[in-house]
Amino acid sequence: MAKLVKNIPVLIELAKPKLSTFVRYAKVELVPPSPAEIPAAIGDASKKIANLQKQTFRNWTVKEAAINTVVGLEVFCWFFIGECIGKGSLVGYQV
Amino acid sequence: MAVTLPEPVRVSPLIKTCRWTALGLGIWWGTKRYAALKAEEDEIRAYNAKMKPIWDAEKAAKAAASNREQMIYLAKESGTPIPEGF
Repeated sequence: MAKLVKNIPVLIELAKPKLSTFVRYAKVELVPPSPAEIPAAIGDASKKIANLQKQTFRNWTVKEAAINTVVGLEVFCWFFIGECIGKGSLVGYQV
Repeated sequence: MAVTLPEPVRVSPLIKTCRWTALGLGIWWGTKRYAALKAEEDEIRAYNAKMKPIWDAEKAAKAAASNREQMIYLAKESGTPIPEGF
């Protein structure tokens, strides 16, 4: 255990470049929408709902369909991440 | 590392809004559900704690009665005299 604690500064130094790469991507990709972007998002959403009614998804290529499915699934999974945060545990509600 | 990493992708605002809305909804749902389940479980725990002495007394009385019957049966079979008021 003492050996692990001694190695922590070394590990932090090793992790810094990886961390900075992660932050570089996270600052663009994972950041929440700014207030200016939200009306654009709502407009985009109404367009997507119109597309759903027109059933344009039937004309998707397989690649498009796969990408859209995966993106939709990812957005859905954020709900479960939030639920884990809210219930304060990873597996199950620890009542 | 000689690999050049690609540029970060500019995510569409719709996806960003949906993600963070889903996260917020999830946190809200998690806290709500946790509170409800905790209330239920606390009730069950309180009920069990209240009934435990009663149940323990019932079990002890039942065990004593069955023990007495077995002792009487053994006494009858072995011919031992049963003391008064047993």
